[in-house]
Amino acid sequence: MTSLNAALPAVARSRWRGLGALIGTELRVQLHELTSIATSFIVQAVFLVFVGVLAREYLSYTLVGAVVFSTFQIGQRVQNEAAWIRIDHKLHELYHASPMTPEAYFLGMSVGVLTAYSAPIVLLFGVADYLVALAAPVALLLVAVLVAEFVFTASVGYMISTWFKNMRSIWPYSTLFFNFFGVLPPVFYPLFLFPKALQPVALLLPTAGGTALVEHADGILPLPTDWVILAAMSLLVGASLAFVGAVYWARRISRER
Amino acid sequence: MNSDALRADSVRKIYHGRSGPDIEALSGVSLRIARGERIALLGRNGAGKTTFLRIASTLLAPTSGAVEIFGRDALADPESVRPYLAVVPQEGKPFMHLTPREQAYTYLRARGFSRETAKSRADHALDQMGLAEVADRLSITLSGGQRQRTMVATVISTEAPLMFLDEPTIGMDPFARREVWESFRELTVKGSTILLTTHYLDEAEALSQRLYIIDRGRVLAEGTADELKHRVGGTLRVSIVSGDGIAQQLSTFGPLVRDGDIVHVITGPHGLQEILSIAAHANLTATVGPVTLEEAFLHVVGRSIHDES
Repeated sequence: MTSLNAALPAVARSRWRGLGALIGTELRVQLHELTSIATSFIVQAVFLVFVGVLAREYLSYTLVGAVVFSTFQIGQRVQNEAAWIRIDHKLHELYHASPMTPEAYFLGMSVGVLTAYSAPIVLLFGVADYLVALAAPVALLLVAVLVAEFVFTASVGYMISTWFKNMRSIWPYSTLFFNFFGVLPPVFYPLFLFPKALQPVALLLPTAGGTALVEHADGILPLPTDWVILAAMSLLVGASLAFVGAVYWARRISRER
Repeated sequence: MNSDALRADSVRKIYHGRSGPDIEALSGVSLRIARGERIALLGRNGAGKTTFLRIASTLLAPTSGAVEIFGRDALADPESVRPYLAVVPQEGKPFMHLTPREQAYTYLRARGFSRETAKSRADHALDQMGLAEVADRLSITLSGGQRQRTMVATVISTEAPLMFLDEPTIGMDPFARREVWESFRELTVKGSTILLTTHYLDEAEALSQRLYIIDRGRVLAEGTADELKHRVGGTLRVSIVSGDGIAQQLSTFGPLVRDGDIVHVITGPHGLQEILSIAAHANLTATVGPVTLEEAFLHVVGRSIHDES
């Protein structure tokens, strides 16, 4: 509190001030949506059942793809949550006109959503580890891929969330991304079943590329070295650019034009 | 530091329509707010109040103009002033799955307050807003007015040096509104500065030390409520329904202000009897009362604050 003629209170400047508090806030909010969390991997589970019944030899690929895609989907939840808070609640204005930086707001919300929805990933990860017996380096690679996947998708999702003025306009994009990044490319099925000419193109997608990297490391998907580099660089560069872009965009959009 | 809390010069905002024409929401608004003042922007819906408030609170970029907050350039470096601001957005809602207590507490924590301070300030603000009984109920179960009070409690608990409140009492019952007014007075006594928008005339009069009447993106008048009423030209208002036919006679007693088919004559005690006899002679009903901010608004804007055309 400042008295009328006193100097303004000093505010310690930190780009990440309030980050932990917002993660906690978002976690509290999301944990009230237990049904949503519990059903968040239902599509992946259905794919696993289908593949398990119809083409059991591909189950390992589907499992790895399910873990990767679950992480990708959480980024889409960030997109919807950011849009919901902005359009329906207008709470972003409380956080933007405050000591919290726009990038801390973006990151706090994203990590809060990730934490709330991480249980299905952990479960799928455990199942994958049990059935495929992931070696420690492969498990570590999978974690790294998931982190990059989340950074990419949450960043892109946050940017997209700011482009719409009503929620109804956003829903079709969620469906589009779900199919474009998850169902069509080789995520739930092996890369070698994808048209040969398009296989390197598929590796540019974070979902298909990340999945292929883990499967290659696990020895179930042989890949030429240049394709491994292509997928790894694509994921790394894509996630880095998306994050930098989201931080820039978060700052820019915190004051609308 | 003796700079004003807020200083705006010639602020313009043009919204560029994608398919329709451009809209000039603000046409050069200038105003000054000293530290510790409570100021109201009074205007009809669409007058430009919210646009100005969002620009002043760093949430919207103007097309041109200058805004200084505590002597700092808020347009060039919004991040340097944001730690000193707090905003209640128009039609904002709390997180539906948080209780009012959690809402205020977590927001204070996000602003960097310690657990103890956040807890005591949240509790105090919720008490002030009359929310103590529902403080631990999820917001989704609260009424619209209670949710709005939660938003106000969340923001006033920050005790930020400069607060922007966009229609803060909308949807509240009269009793709750008075509690909110009292808490705003308390905040400015402690040193905060408040800029609020409202289209409630009683709120503007009861709460603000000065007010700006704004219409079609321009500031049309500024002063205390008493000063604005005084400018109308008298102390008494005689209102005559369907009084257009006798308007010429009435105009000899003082300025006329029209509100639909009601003609208000602004006068003093001297001409009162005569006006009433003229109205009675024309078989018209006349009512007498003191000049209010409503007449001041009509006088300045030429239309009622409730006129949305």
